[in-house]
Amino acid sequence: MTQPFLAIRAIRKTFGSVVAVHDVTVDIPKGEFLTFLGPSGSGKSTTLYAIAGFQDPTSGDVLLEGASLLSVPPHKRNIGMVFQRYTLFPHLTVAENVAFPLRVRRRPDAEVKRKVGDMLALVRLEGFADRRPGALSGGQQQRVALARALAYDPPILLMDEPLSALDKKLREEIQAEIRRIHRETGVTILYVTHDQEEALHLSDRIALFRDGRIEQIGSGEDLYLRPATDFVAGFIGNSNFLPAECLETADGAATIRLADGSVVSGVRANHDFGRGQKARLMVRPEAFRLTPDHACAGLAVEFVDTAFFGERRRVVARTASGQEIDIRPTSDMADAHRGGASGGRRVFFDPAAAFLFPA
Amino acid sequence: MLLDYDRMGWLRVMLLGITGLVTAFLLLPVVFIVLLSFGSSRWLAFPPPGWTLKWYGELLADPAWLGAALTSMRIAAIAAALAVVIGLFASFALVRGEFRGRNVLRGLLLTPMVLPVVVFAVAIYAFFLRLGLGGTTVGFVIAHTVLALPFAIIPIATALEGFDKTIEDAAIVCGASPLEAKLRITLPSIRIGIFSAAIFAFLASWDEVVVAIFMASPTLQTLPVKIWGSLRQDLSPVIAAASSLLVLLTLLLMIAAALIRRRFSK
Repeated sequence: MTQPFLAIRAIRKTFGSVVAVHDVTVDIPKGEFLTFLGPSGSGKSTTLYAIAGFQDPTSGDVLLEGASLLSVPPHKRNIGMVFQRYTLFPHLTVAENVAFPLRVRRRPDAEVKRKVGDMLALVRLEGFADRRPGALSGGQQQRVALARALAYDPPILLMDEPLSALDKKLREEIQAEIRRIHRETGVTILYVTHDQEEALHLSDRIALFRDGRIEQIGSGEDLYLRPATDFVAGFIGNSNFLPAECLETADGAATIRLADGSVVSGVRANHDFGRGQKARLMVRPEAFRLTPDHACAGLAVEFVDTAFFGERRRVVARTASGQEIDIRPTSDMADAHRGGASGGRRVFFDPAAAFLFPA
Repeated sequence: MLLDYDRMGWLRVMLLGITGLVTAFLLLPVVFIVLLSFGSSRWLAFPPPGWTLKWYGELLADPAWLGAALTSMRIAAIAAALAVVIGLFASFALVRGEFRGRNVLRGLLLTPMVLPVVVFAVAIYAFFLRLGLGGTTVGFVIAHTVLALPFAIIPIATALEGFDKTIEDAAIVCGASPLEAKLRITLPSIRIGIFSAAIFAFLASWDEVVVAIFMASPTLQTLPVKIWGSLRQDLSPVIAAASSLLVLLTLLLMIAAALIRRRFSK
């Protein structure tokens, strides 16, 4: 087996009796954009800071091209990092900020000058070289921070929620910039965020953290379409969880009975369920149909509210047992409209797009 | 708010009056001293019969006065430099450190500001006598450094508290050693606090008289001590001239401190 570019090996971090990170292990190939996604306190930032060198892990190792990083002091790790907070040096100009890592490496003036020019061009801030950080917007400051972090061609770039202080529109704009820069430089990026949309938008792979462990790692599509656990299903995208009872499982598929007594077969199950075991069936809001097609399961509901969002309509419906579910039909919107805002009717879903999880 | 200035009506006039009177009461003696230093009367009579620069001439011609002024400056400069350096280390410990007794240490370091000066003066006088430091520049500097320390720690610690340590971490990720990051990034970022600390520490020593009287010897006197001593012998307008110079330097430094604040707070 070839040696991974960056290997995180059983990183564990405890604070007193609290375990913040539980033996996290990931291999990261060169040039990958990997996102650590998870709620706050799930250990994603702690893992990132262990790689940066600001948190010494209790045990485990981080290997870059086979060599341990942990014995190297933070300033000699040659890692690039962009922080959540604005960290430009306030008394230096934009150009001096970008030049700083090159100056501490005592690179010749001509090289520093050329590199600063290249980097400011990369983040499209050529005209801002002589400004002070205080005269820049938050988005511009983070772009300069990105230029500074890449100026010395680090093999790895760490980003700790770099966009969380920015408003939504700016965030999307800089996400596109980050994607472009990743494409152009080919740098390996480890990105931390709690924003699933950001993670889906940016990453090659996503490692979803929960309580200090990686719950699932894979492409955005993997996590969205094939969630390993109900936590993943609930965290990535929107989900409805319907109470169910398992009747039979075979080859990753299950037959279940829903609360209204209807029996559905062919739902996906990647756990073993005993006969009669209580379970929860996850159905994405957009997996619901308002008209049946072949092999569809039905559900009797009452429409509580419909709201129009332009490209999509959102329906809040209530099941016979009183549970409110979220429905975002992708087609037949006219039909949703015709049905009116309320009234009893049936909605349908493809069992193959529904996942069974333990209750 | 209960006492809203805009809604006080006629009370506002009264408030302005009282403020004016208090200000005048505090400042007039200083103004009188400065006026008297330019007056031609030998006996500090007011209003002066005429105006002259004679007393300043005498002051600058007298090596004893000049010596006292230079001594004051030397001691204040050394004490301020020491207070700033110690204050820097102390501030890093107080702001960044996590150790038991941090608040006790903070209190201890700020004690010289609240402790009755005369108590401190007597204590350090007795202590220095045993060590043979009484009447020496070293003794003077140590005593004044202790007094100046709180004035250095307060602005530096405040500046350091307002400085996000993540910026220093960013410099370290960039490849700067922890010391280099502090020297090249953190210190320049808190320089307003350091300048303020230097000025206030200098002033704390420059116009200090109580401890100075205990520390002084016939051959080692600071300007305030010399003024105090001369005042007990005669009432020469030269004293007024010396006092005016004392006030002038203080004023200049206060203006400098204000300008620095204004320039960098933008």
